[in-house]
Amino acid sequence: MAEDQAPLVEFQDLSVSYGLVQALAGISGQFPAGATGLLGPNGAGKTTLLKTLLGFLDPDRGRMTAFGLDPTREPLEVRRRLGYMPEQDCHLPGMSASSFVAFAGELSGLPRSEAISRAHEVLYYVGLGEARYRNVETYSTGMKQRAKLAQALVHDPDLLLLDEPTNGLDPKGREEMLALIQDVASRRQMSLILCSHLLRDVERVCENVIVLNQGQVARSGSIRELTGPRRQVYDVRFKGDAGAVLTDLKDLGGDWREGEDGVRLFLPDGKGPETIFRLAKECGVQVRHLRPGAETLEDVFLAALGHEIQD
Amino acid sequence: MPIYDQGYRPYEARAPLHQIRFWPITREALRMILSKRAFLGLLAVSLLPFIVRAIQVYIVARFPDAGRVLPVDGRLFGDFLNQQIGFTILLSIFGASGLIANDLRTGAILVYLSRPLTRRDYVLGKLCVPMALNLAVTLVPALALYGVALALAPDQFFQWELAWIGPAIVVHAFVISLFVSLLSLAVSALSRSARVAGLGFFGLVFGLEMIRLVVQHGFNRSEAMLISFQADLKSLGVALFGLADTELAMHWAAPAAVLLLVSLACLAILRSRVRAVEIVT
Repeated sequence: MAEDQAPLVEFQDLSVSYGLVQALAGISGQFPAGATGLLGPNGAGKTTLLKTLLGFLDPDRGRMTAFGLDPTREPLEVRRRLGYMPEQDCHLPGMSASSFVAFAGELSGLPRSEAISRAHEVLYYVGLGEARYRNVETYSTGMKQRAKLAQALVHDPDLLLLDEPTNGLDPKGREEMLALIQDVASRRQMSLILCSHLLRDVERVCENVIVLNQGQVARSGSIRELTGPRRQVYDVRFKGDAGAVLTDLKDLGGDWREGEDGVRLFLPDGKGPETIFRLAKECGVQVRHLRPGAETLEDVFLAALGHEIQD
Repeated sequence: MPIYDQGYRPYEARAPLHQIRFWPITREALRMILSKRAFLGLLAVSLLPFIVRAIQVYIVARFPDAGRVLPVDGRLFGDFLNQQIGFTILLSIFGASGLIANDLRTGAILVYLSRPLTRRDYVLGKLCVPMALNLAVTLVPALALYGVALALAPDQFFQWELAWIGPAIVVHAFVISLFVSLLSLAVSALSRSARVAGLGFFGLVFGLEMIRLVVQHGFNRSEAMLISFQADLKSLGVALFGLADTELAMHWAAPAAVLLLVSLACLAILRSRVRAVEIVT
């Protein structure tokens, strides 16, 4: 989206630990303007990175800047420009959604009258307009997620941090939440970091991605580049024992993984589909289906996590 | 058109942050507490002793001979404030037990701490809630009572020798309110349930008072008063207002030291419990 713009967040050699447990181990990277996905399995360090950005955790080593400011030294200035939607449930007991969101706006520094007026607007925007006077405790999970998004948006942050925003939602609720986030990112031009372990959520909303694994940056860059035609990918179904074909392919420098219907083959540079037919013929296996495919974020993710080999 | 297309407007007029950032926290919490009728009833009951004392001042001013039975002097205010300690405890049980416990239970603490607020702002905002309630039943009625005394019995109270009463009321009311507020807030921070916190606070304060009574009367040990927060606070009142209470006959420095140490412990608890990130090592 804005490749020529300076990154909103940068971190260099960043290490963060909880006592003896190291959550982030000397990672470097940046979050550019636009929508960036923060991917990784549970315990990869995604939430730790967000909490360091919010100034909740002090790095053991390295540095992080957000909007050119150090969250450790100037946490208030950084936080007023951030909107944070936490992963876990969060609401104020006994408050209606409109009071809750207006209160959140006031805490972010908005004047009271402005906070109230924006709370109503934002609640309409997230689809809670009709239910805004109801106590948040009576909301369904999907409505609570929307209320959480509204409190993160109310002060019009420069960067929105969304920690697992589709957690606990049914397919319809998830679809609506993703449409909302997509709208925030594309039409409202708001930069956001979508922290998730759901690849499809990130693929749908984000332009860039950072994959974390065991406290390290495993891959980062624009999704288009990462999933671009770097390798030739084919979805193939064999008849017969394809084990030998797959072994030979790996010997040639290629790769494979189980696909939804058959196997997904990643051919080495300079090789085409004729290689697949040749290997199949040599191993006495029939190719029953062959379709060119594109490398998905899931492929990138699994490769980054070192799960390419599936015996 | 999807409902989320109904509008979202950017906010351009970002002003500098307020200096008193904790005020919205206090205001909202007070608004919610004072919206409960039962709590307003308790607050009203807490002010009944003021009316009784004002009547006492009126009777003595009107019929000076009654002063032999109902003496009206500087000690009246000390007695009144010591009497109000029980009400401050009750108000804190019902008004302050959930202040932090509920935020920990519902995850609301993240809503606060992810905003441009420090942990100190958060604690200050919460602390001002029981402080305001406690001062409303200590400082305000005590000063009002002093005003009543000055108005009804100027010969008796408009004297240079009694000028210490006003500052003594302010000091004692603040010590009572601050200590009870800090203690209730610290207990609230130790639990995720307002009920458990309320019961814990009740047990701590009244349990220690029971133990004091048993030890002090059963074993005739005057030092036992130090373990009761109520007795410690009352003994400061005894020292400030020159009250005659043989049960609390101890130099004020010892109970003051106990109250100071407990207050520091409360601050340490708040510091360790009020966090956006729970670190389990």
